[in-house]
Amino acid sequence: MSKKIGVYICSGCGIGDALDVSALSKVATKEYKAPVCKTDAFLCGKDGVDIIKKDVAEEGVNYVVIAGCSGRVNYDVFDFGPSVVLERVNLRERVVWTQEPDDEDTQAMAEDYMRITLAKLKNLEAPVPFIGEEVSKRIMVVGGGLAGMTSATEAAAAGYEVVLVEKEESLGGWLKKSYKIAPLSPPYTNPEETDLAGRIKKIEDNPNIKVYTLASIEQTAGSPGMFDVTIKQGDAAATERVGAIVLAAGAVPYDPGKLEHLGFGASPNVITQAQLEELAQKGCIARPSDGKAVQKVAFIQCAGSRDQEHLSYCSAACCVESIKQSLYVKEQNPEAAVYVFYKDIRSSGQYEHFYKKAQSEGVIFIKADVTGVSDDGGNITIEADDLLMGSPTMADEIDLVVLANGMVPATAFEDPALGGEAQAEVAAGSDQAAPAPAPIIKSNILNLQYRQGPELPSLKYGFPDSHFICFPYETRRTGIYAAGSVRRPMDMAQAVEDATGAALKAIQCVEMSARGMAVHPRSGDLSYPEFQMNRCTQCKRCTEECPFGAINEDEKSNPLPNPTRCRRCGTCMGACPERIISFKNYSVPMVGNMLKAIEVPEEDEEKPRVLIFACENDAIPALDMAGINRLAYSKWIRIIPVRCLGSLNLIWVNDAMSKGIDGVLLMGCKHGDDYQCHFMKGSELAGIRLSKVSETLDRMGLESDRVYMTEVSIMDYDKIPKIVGDFVDKIEKFGPNPMKGF
Amino acid sequence: MTDLNVSSEPVKYNPDFAKEIYALESGEHVKLCMQCGMCALSCATREEMDYSPRKLFLLMRVGKREEFFKANTMWMCSTCLMCKVRCPRGIPLADVMHDLKSHAIKLGYTERPQATFYQSFWQEILNKGRVFEGGLMARYYLKRGWSEMTKGLFEMRDLGMTMLKHNRMPLKSPKSIKGLKSMKQIIERAQAQMHREEGR
Repeated sequence: MSKKIGVYICSGCGIGDALDVSALSKVATKEYKAPVCKTDAFLCGKDGVDIIKKDVAEEGVNYVVIAGCSGRVNYDVFDFGPSVVLERVNLRERVVWTQEPDDEDTQAMAEDYMRITLAKLKNLEAPVPFIGEEVSKRIMVVGGGLAGMTSATEAAAAGYEVVLVEKEESLGGWLKKSYKIAPLSPPYTNPEETDLAGRIKKIEDNPNIKVYTLASIEQTAGSPGMFDVTIKQGDAAATERVGAIVLAAGAVPYDPGKLEHLGFGASPNVITQAQLEELAQKGCIARPSDGKAVQKVAFIQCAGSRDQEHLSYCSAACCVESIKQSLYVKEQNPEAAVYVFYKDIRSSGQYEHFYKKAQSEGVIFIKADVTGVSDDGGNITIEADDLLMGSPTMADEIDLVVLANGMVPATAFEDPALGGEAQAEVAAGSDQAAPAPAPIIKSNILNLQYRQGPELPSLKYGFPDSHFICFPYETRRTGIYAAGSVRRPMDMAQAVEDATGAALKAIQCVEMSARGMAVHPRSGDLSYPEFQMNRCTQCKRCTEECPFGAINEDEKSNPLPNPTRCRRCGTCMGACPERIISFKNYSVPMVGNMLKAIEVPEEDEEKPRVLIFACENDAIPALDMAGINRLAYSKWIRIIPVRCLGSLNLIWVNDAMSKGIDGVLLMGCKHGDDYQCHFMKGSELAGIRLSKVSETLDRMGLESDRVYMTEVSIMDYDKIPKIVGDFVDKIEKFGPNPMKGF
Repeated sequence: MTDLNVSSEPVKYNPDFAKEIYALESGEHVKLCMQCGMCALSCATREEMDYSPRKLFLLMRVGKREEFFKANTMWMCSTCLMCKVRCPRGIPLADVMHDLKSHAIKLGYTERPQATFYQSFWQEILNKGRVFEGGLMARYYLKRGWSEMTKGLFEMRDLGMTMLKHNRMPLKSPKSIKGLKSMKQIIERAQAQMHREEGR
């Protein structure tokens, strides 16, 4: 099908007043020979849209370029179906709202954006979706505790088949070990029955849920929509094809053996929360030493948690659990004295009501640092620094001390069965400057057949890495969603919510994968990376750098892409030294053409040009918001959006410099521990690649500071004029790029 | 304000005292105190208090009975209600302070001049059904003793003279109200009911 380009320029929203629209259309018709070029004063109105629709239907226009507002608005109005390639030239937010009206340089900027977009069309095709074979819409849930059972019932209720895998003999997980649970419904004041039998029955009665108990996962191969999971049950092994996986493997209590300073081990009457549940299940909370019913009980919160020597995080559930257990004691004996030694009571959500209930039952909460626990023949004395009294305090003749010992995710443990290798498989990087690969702990839960390692990459403390703000459930393996206390420490109410959310995410994944669409963050994107294998040098950079493990490797180190695992960030495209990886609508030559389309004025005109590669996720919205707020910024800049800074190929910087562009600014997301990058490693990788650029610039006889990377978050729109202005000032001090005119 | 560090020895927790306070009319609410300090921040007379209400409740929880009742906190409460309005746990602090005053007097913690004043005021009402300033003053100073009386009269002589001049301080005791007997009966019955409730 031949390309027929139609350019439509909107003169509304002040564009017509600030710019010479007829000169703009000349750029399209004369320079780029667009066969159709029309101007309308209200393009997003019904008449305007009809003009385009008519041309698409009657003239055969299949490449539509709309010059007007930002592509972030009116995307629903300008939708002409999948067969029409649509490009937007942002004249409104990026030019008219930030620059002087009726100005020569403003006009030049608008014309450059027109050229950039029209040059982009040269290597742009409508993407053809990748549709896998035998795509499954079933969902596998790993772990049959509260979160896993909730995920399974929720996904089944939405009409999806579920495979539930549990390692123990029966479902229930932590519920099996609990006497009662903290309330999940109003008025949130009384402990609830676990309703374990009811929950299990709901699963067993559901024909859409297939349960494997006493089972483990031998291996998980394939990709979203096409996972082949081998489930081992005793000696038998079964293979299930599933579309997405919810990981609800839960957490285990922190090892109380490490809490000797709180008396554990020294006295039988110092127990953990789990042990108290056992006592309560037996029907009587009695002293383990002599079986005497308890009169005075003390809870010690943050036993291990929020402690640099143990777990530095807050385990989130123990405050609520201790409140619940203090009510067990009060239920058994309302006259019993109950002390809770705490750092901060963190009864989040509705549990403030629960906290108040415990107080009104007479439980005494003491904000104190426990300094010593000693046993005198069964009677325990707790010494503490009472932080509110400001003095040392003492509670004696205590029958039972309960340690709130926190939780550790199941993914945090190396499985000794795997030979106890302490270190995760580290990518054999040939590049010294490559970022350290994320630690993968061989916990023997999923056993992924991924080139980058058998489990989910973790961020800290063994919890799976995820974009914590925007995409909490999404791990760094597409199609695998963590839910419940394996994702982060949480109480049961939160786990139920979490499990439901993850089930929805899994459903989104199987549906999108079946249609060949990206799941997230580029939801609905039909493009995927294609490899021109005859030029591949087996350098492994793409398989190492993909933040999502989308690319496997064969024995000869050839990359084996898995398109449904891919998030379409283009990090592989930026990494490839041979530039053999490209998308139908995003490629190295395409961006190369775009930046070459910028008109660079002669040196004596003293009009510098600064190219900005801006990340589409945060920097581009921030730039748009600067426009919406009418914040004026430098007239010398030209912006090219990129999917992620990770897709930045150094050849672009080279091309820009040899074309005579005076400086290149990269706007990406925050990286590091609290990263904001939507593709986790993109901006970090760009930073590493950039460190190698200085060499190239030196060779060209240019100052290496002409290329600079900065972090912009979506809320930084007010700082945009300063960031841009400072960089342009710096470039002006360096003087013009000597490559101009070559 | 007094430092809370009541002794250098470790303080032993004694939960029994808290139970005594919880049994008072508005005492139940005190259980909900979460030591946020909003009452202290809102209190108009906090600078005059030995302990802020928050710290007073803390002493109660620990079981420091003597420090609790010897503190002037409840006596300095001016019932402005700012604390009650602001308490995030809805504790009616002014009502609690009132309970504490009444409980303290019952237990014999009457050294504070405010305690004497409350007692004198009550007796004056009970006697005549209305307040006679002269009688109130006489009752108050009889209880507080000679030295305080001479000192007090000397300090307040200007105020007294002005009030006399403007006929604001009658020297002659007014008549009792009509139906004094009925009023006393009402009070007796109310007190009897209160005792019954306390006994329960």
